[in-house]
Amino acid sequence: MIQAHKPLSEHAAQRLTLDTEPYLSCDECFDLVDSYVEALLADPDHDQLAMRTHLAGCAACAEEARSLLCYVAEQDGLNPEPALQRLENDPA
Amino acid sequence: MSLVGANDRVPPELGLADAEPENWVEALSIPGPLQDHAMGWLHQMMLRASRHQVRRMRPALAGVGDERLEEIANQAADEAMMAVLTKLHTFEGRSRFTTWAYKFAILQCATEVRRYAWLTREVELDDLTPLRERDRSPASYAEAADLASAVRGAIEVALTPHQRRITIALLIDEVPIDVLAQRLGTNRNALYKTVHDARSRLRAHLIVSGHLATPHPQAGTS
Repeated sequence: MIQAHKPLSEHAAQRLTLDTEPYLSCDECFDLVDSYVEALLADPDHDQLAMRTHLAGCAACAEEARSLLCYVAEQDGLNPEPALQRLENDPA
Repeated sequence: MSLVGANDRVPPELGLADAEPENWVEALSIPGPLQDHAMGWLHQMMLRASRHQVRRMRPALAGVGDERLEEIANQAADEAMMAVLTKLHTFEGRSRFTTWAYKFAILQCATEVRRYAWLTREVELDDLTPLRERDRSPASYAEAADLASAVRGAIEVALTPHQRRITIALLIDEVPIDVLAQRLGTNRNALYKTVHDARSRLRAHLIVSGHLATPHPQAGTS
């Protein structure tokens, strides 16, 4: 039996048309995420366009980056919010 | 089975029972009591990070008992520890060792949780069922509704059947990428690349049809 797909919401339309250039693979994102998270916690204005773009376009990598950031912040007694806000920003 | 046994305790005379290794790579690489100590410490780190991830993803596991959640965290910690030891030679010191190691536990545990949450769920992978638009409230913005309608059309004409199936599953039906990769016998990289290419095609189609603005030449170059 063919089941209906979820309705195409406006939010899904935004996800579908996201500009994900410059391209970064999930493996490359994983290689960089630890240093990226530390850099964001040290300076919430830190920017790496390729990482920011990938995380906006890949829900799984984004959840793991947010989780790592929160966990490292907790271990270090830091407020994760400023860095999290940067992490959530869509590509410019 | 845990990778760390009851005998993996550092001898008291070394005075390191409560000390994190100063040089992780060396401590984990050279057999002896310091390595045993480092392995035990690392496993505890992996377990704590895995439990953190299980807590974050708890809503995806409604109805799953605490005992099973602890099993998931322990299994992820064991596998993350193996991954850390396998990749130890690639650690370049661009971050602290602990941050580098935590990411393996978080990846492993998040993947385990997603797969467990979808264990009994079917993944629909046809590209023939028509896409529906969400029922709209009177407050919906006409411009956004117009884009959704245009995207629906573009999916049908601008994508290959493979791109259409993968993109619908990941971005509309919200199947987790690890789950889809496992069902298709592929990996996260390959699926993300398919979606990346599909997005490029959709954008190009929608720019031509006037539903998306042409990117500014300077955009994305900083």
